[in-house]
Amino acid sequence: MKILLPPPLSDPPQSHSFVQDFMLLLKNQMRVSWNKMRHRPVGTLIGMAVLLLGLLAILGSLGYFAYGALKTMPPQTAKGFLSLLFMVGLVSQIFFGITAAFAALYMSDDLELLFMAPIPIKVVFAVKSLAVIGSNLLTAILFAFLPGVFYGLLFQAGASFYILVFLVGIGLWAMGTAIAELINLIIMRIVPPHRSKEAVGFIGALAGILIALVFQIPNLLLNNQSEINIGSWIAGQEQMLSAMDFFPWGWGSLALVAGISGSFLVGLGWSLLILLAGAFLFMMAFNLVERGFRRGFISLSQGEGGRRRKKRIVPASGEEHHQQELTSYLAFKEEVSGTASPWLGMWAVAKKDLLSMKRDTREWFGYLVPLIIMLFFVAQFLFFKAESSRASLILVLIMYTIMFSGNLALQSFGREGESDWLLNSVPLAGWPVVWGKLVAAILPTLLLMEALLVGTALAIGVSTTLTLALAFGAVFLSLGSSAIGLFYSINNCRYNPDSPQQRISPGATLFMYLINLFFTLLLALGLTYIFLPDELVAILRDLPPVTFEGGFLSGIIYALYLLSRPLLWSTTLRILLGIIVTGGVWALMFFGFMAATVRQSRKGFRVELVTGGKKKLGKKRWS
Amino acid sequence: MERILIKTHQLTKRYGPVSVVKGLNLEVKGGEIFGFLGPNGAGKTTTIKMLTGLLDPSEGEAFICDYDISKQPTKAKALMAYVPDQPKLYGKLSAREFLYLISALYRVPKDVMKERAEQLLGMFGLRDRADELLEGYSHGMRQKVVLASALIHQPKVILLDEPTVGLDPASARLLKDVLQELARQGAAVFVSTHILEIAERMCHRVAILKDGQLIAQGSPEELRQKVGHGGESLEDIFLELTGGNENADLIKSLEEG
Repeated sequence: MKILLPPPLSDPPQSHSFVQDFMLLLKNQMRVSWNKMRHRPVGTLIGMAVLLLGLLAILGSLGYFAYGALKTMPPQTAKGFLSLLFMVGLVSQIFFGITAAFAALYMSDDLELLFMAPIPIKVVFAVKSLAVIGSNLLTAILFAFLPGVFYGLLFQAGASFYILVFLVGIGLWAMGTAIAELINLIIMRIVPPHRSKEAVGFIGALAGILIALVFQIPNLLLNNQSEINIGSWIAGQEQMLSAMDFFPWGWGSLALVAGISGSFLVGLGWSLLILLAGAFLFMMAFNLVERGFRRGFISLSQGEGGRRRKKRIVPASGEEHHQQELTSYLAFKEEVSGTASPWLGMWAVAKKDLLSMKRDTREWFGYLVPLIIMLFFVAQFLFFKAESSRASLILVLIMYTIMFSGNLALQSFGREGESDWLLNSVPLAGWPVVWGKLVAAILPTLLLMEALLVGTALAIGVSTTLTLALAFGAVFLSLGSSAIGLFYSINNCRYNPDSPQQRISPGATLFMYLINLFFTLLLALGLTYIFLPDELVAILRDLPPVTFEGGFLSGIIYALYLLSRPLLWSTTLRILLGIIVTGGVWALMFFGFMAATVRQSRKGFRVELVTGGKKKLGKKRWS
Repeated sequence: MERILIKTHQLTKRYGPVSVVKGLNLEVKGGEIFGFLGPNGAGKTTTIKMLTGLLDPSEGEAFICDYDISKQPTKAKALMAYVPDQPKLYGKLSAREFLYLISALYRVPKDVMKERAEQLLGMFGLRDRADELLEGYSHGMRQKVVLASALIHQPKVILLDEPTVGLDPASARLLKDVLQELARQGAAVFVSTHILEIAERMCHRVAILKDGQLIAQGSPEELRQKVGHGGESLEDIFLELTGGNENADLIKSLEEG
């Protein structure tokens, strides 16, 4: 084939202006975003629309709440309230801005490409910074612009007041983003490039937990049934509020209060101070980030980059040692060695998974989330002591042990990701792989849940016998539930390189939960035969005999009636049946699902690769 | 005589106390295909990153077409193309959109851009899938897109880091032909590779880097003479100079013993 190439350039083409380059990159960024949106599945788009509606509803109610709170306050208290809102806004901007800055400046795949292009690096960072600023827009609207607007509406301020609101809002917005970028600079220095995805997952999960905590606060307050009076609380915090005047959020409220009081120039002074401070911080962050990348202080995604390497210390006899190793390997290669026990293989699989969990910080969140959620239940019990809380707390813990174990086992085979070929090609398929996975799934879960169960039981004053019974029961519950999770994991595992934590299909998760619920129900039936609930027996004694009259509903009622009969049997028979049902259900579920998983492991498992909205089905199932 | 298009003077990169590249002096003329060889961790990619302006050198200078990459980066980059070993592209752009973007970044006129993009898409066999998103492309296809994007703006200097990885034999052959054509037209081609056979067959001159230091430079023939044996392949010379021959000797002696 004849290759036709235009001759190389002899001189560089004329440079573009900053604005031209900026617009070009911005246009490209928008095209990428548009393509991303265009190629999303319809279901995702509908989900996003529903979420947006929900968010708007929350925003509306929060705005209504804030406006109502402002209405009841005298101007001085309102100033404190504004300071608080601005402070919360700034903190939120910093927090969410860190994630956005990390994703835009460090995890971005196009940095190398853009740095290579004949455009000033400042243009690249200008577009990236715009993305970070954009990600903080909602927080800025909520906590910097809207409070000012409401304040103005409440006191019927003139048009000039809104200039102050605008300046304060912009200043706080720039400041929050700049501080986030500066903190991110340190994070980018600490986190090596190959762990960037992990870090963003970690920060994102932390943000998610914080949001969950924030949304739990009204729930706790409502449960407290005490009256929420922000105005009187703020009025009692005079010292704190006067200290706030020394900080930018205090300047913001000073500017708005001055504006309302008719001292526009004073307000303008404070507004400009915030704006200048925000602009200064933003320029500083912008220059430091640009310089950091250029100087290699922050490394690009390849190699070790800016990370300091340790000086290699080669022992004097290094070469000799290497040769010795090679010689000994070559000398022994022809010797026939015996086959090791498959138990070692099982432990190797378990150890591999445990190490992966230990070293991937995103995995920790799988364990942290239940701890945090449980904290709410414990806090609820401790603060609002009620007899019903104790029973519900233990019930929640048991249910949680089951669901949590199942859920973590569900991640097991997807963890293999693109390395699924390894476990399929080693001579371990079958029980060593499956039991290895079970051990890895259950060890951390059990440790955590046992600690949680025993700790909570001790904290709320449950008897020692019941605590021991709970601890003992948790082992079996965890094993059974994990076996179910493993079965669904081996048959439905998937891997998305862009979000490696998506390891299972949503349908399989739902089925796993349903089966686990069924498992719990059957176990509960057996346990009811053993530990007789007096209230239920009293009801059953008064119940008239039920007969089967045909039809589905009658069939269900009759089946329930039959199942309840053993509760009226003699104690020995009832307990014996209870032990048989509980043990039988557990053994059937555990060994049944384990056997099915082992069978599938022998046939080979396949981790389905998912990229964006597409699934790659080209990979053959190992067999 | 062709002018020097790539030049480094005492180019050094240090991370803390560790020097990754030590006082590198290189010269690559127009019309020359220059092979850059070295074992893993020798500092090849760091050198390329300094040449492309992705990394600031700790000491020394690098010039592309007489433009100092640190002081006049935009001018130097406008005349240069870089093909990384693991191309990171916009997954949500199609191959055609990507080529248009690169053309715009390198200020290729719009009418020329479309014509050249079509020509390159055809040359690399990408035309049928040119409107599909890059996220669905295989590694080899992505590599072809990067190669096409590297050629679209008529670079005077092209730097390639392991360019044949992931390419099928036909595409690898096409790449070699393209590089030879570029050199014939007077461009400087700088190739970092581990495939010594390619370097031996294609490169006019090679440089061998070890622990950040240049340990040999010259045509394969000159290197043969320097090492002092006759009829050796570039692989033998490379192993001899980088110390990799010890293992080979050991294996040979064990086999004989």
